[in-house]
Amino acid sequence: MRRKRRKIVKNIEEEHEEIKYEDTSVRELLTLMKDYSELITDLAYAAILYDNMDLAEEVGHLEAEMDKMMYLIRLKSMLSARTLEDAERLSGLLQVASASEKISDAAKDMVGILNMGVEVRPLMPHILSEADEKIHALKVYDDSDIVGRSIGELRIESFTGVRIIAIRRRNRWIYGPHGHHGLETGDIVIVSGVDAGFEELKEVASGRRTWDQVVS
Amino acid sequence: MRETEKKLLEMKNTSELMLDLAYSALLYYNRDIAEEVVELEEWIDFLYEEIQKAALTRYRETGNFDRALVFMKVADAIERIADAALDIADVVLRDIEIHPVLRQSIQESDTIMLKRPVHKGSFLDGKTLGQVRLASETGMWVVAIKRGREWMYGPDENVCLMGGDMIFTRGPEDSIDTLEKWTSAKPS
Repeated sequence: MRRKRRKIVKNIEEEHEEIKYEDTSVRELLTLMKDYSELITDLAYAAILYDNMDLAEEVGHLEAEMDKMMYLIRLKSMLSARTLEDAERLSGLLQVASASEKISDAAKDMVGILNMGVEVRPLMPHILSEADEKIHALKVYDDSDIVGRSIGELRIESFTGVRIIAIRRRNRWIYGPHGHHGLETGDIVIVSGVDAGFEELKEVASGRRTWDQVVS
Repeated sequence: MRETEKKLLEMKNTSELMLDLAYSALLYYNRDIAEEVVELEEWIDFLYEEIQKAALTRYRETGNFDRALVFMKVADAIERIADAALDIADVVLRDIEIHPVLRQSIQESDTIMLKRPVHKGSFLDGKTLGQVRLASETGMWVVAIKRGREWMYGPDENVCLMGGDMIFTRGPEDSIDTLEKWTSAKPS
């Protein structure tokens, strides 16, 4: 299902020239916008926590995508309204879509503080490290049994309560990785979630425990 | 941590809870939950103003303009996220009929919402959220509990679940099975 959605993003870019107006697309756009709004917030907090410009740039990129999706969803909704009742329900739908877009705007503005000197924001990482859902980074070591397995196959979020928001692999980044993405030796994995789950995942990633021990 | 930092943290946590509640309210068309989002937004506004005042006071005392600005910028962004949650809850409060596509899209996203009754004698009956480590063991986060007519929003780990509770959770789709197992009565 994840793979299908990636294609949708690509289609949106292509569709900008020639827009197709199927009702299914409104649903998929809305799903994607909700996913993006969650990812973008996590990435923004991670960018601030690690003072990382790459992550901040991805926030900017996602925000631009979000604007495109908002435009498309508006068009498609308007075209699909036939009656007053339709229009009313669609206005509710657009209100939710626009909430997602609002969140991405806020996330983008938040990472704007990275352009200010480090000395003026020394307490931000400290604040973020006390939140209910924390952002952490861990490294995947050679002797871990998660090496070579996919995120979807491991069902990491379901077993640990932490979700992977980005992976740093050698010189590149994978943002909001999908279920089919595999984990490799040397990956720096940025996660968001509860502490207990992070500790477990870290132990497995370092090879001190096996994934089966966590799952059972 | 200083007072202002604590308030900013409280804003962040509250804004996240508000979004979870807003989506739950929408999915289950629940006015009680939607009204809680409104209440929390008022709390957010209060915190935001306190942070603004503190930032300005700090500026007056230290003369450090940028530092005051950082606090206000982050608080402003969080306030807007909370506002977005309010927009979502507003759809329920205005009695707009929910478009079926809206429900489908929530349940097809990476993070879904799930409402489950806790059965008497189930694994969760009589246990605290911290004891069972619900979030880290199942990936599901409890955003609200309904017990009779009482509601608990954003329960902490000391809250004890009881048979008859209705729990509203948020998490990945593949956690549904575990949650169902944990809330169902054990086979005798």
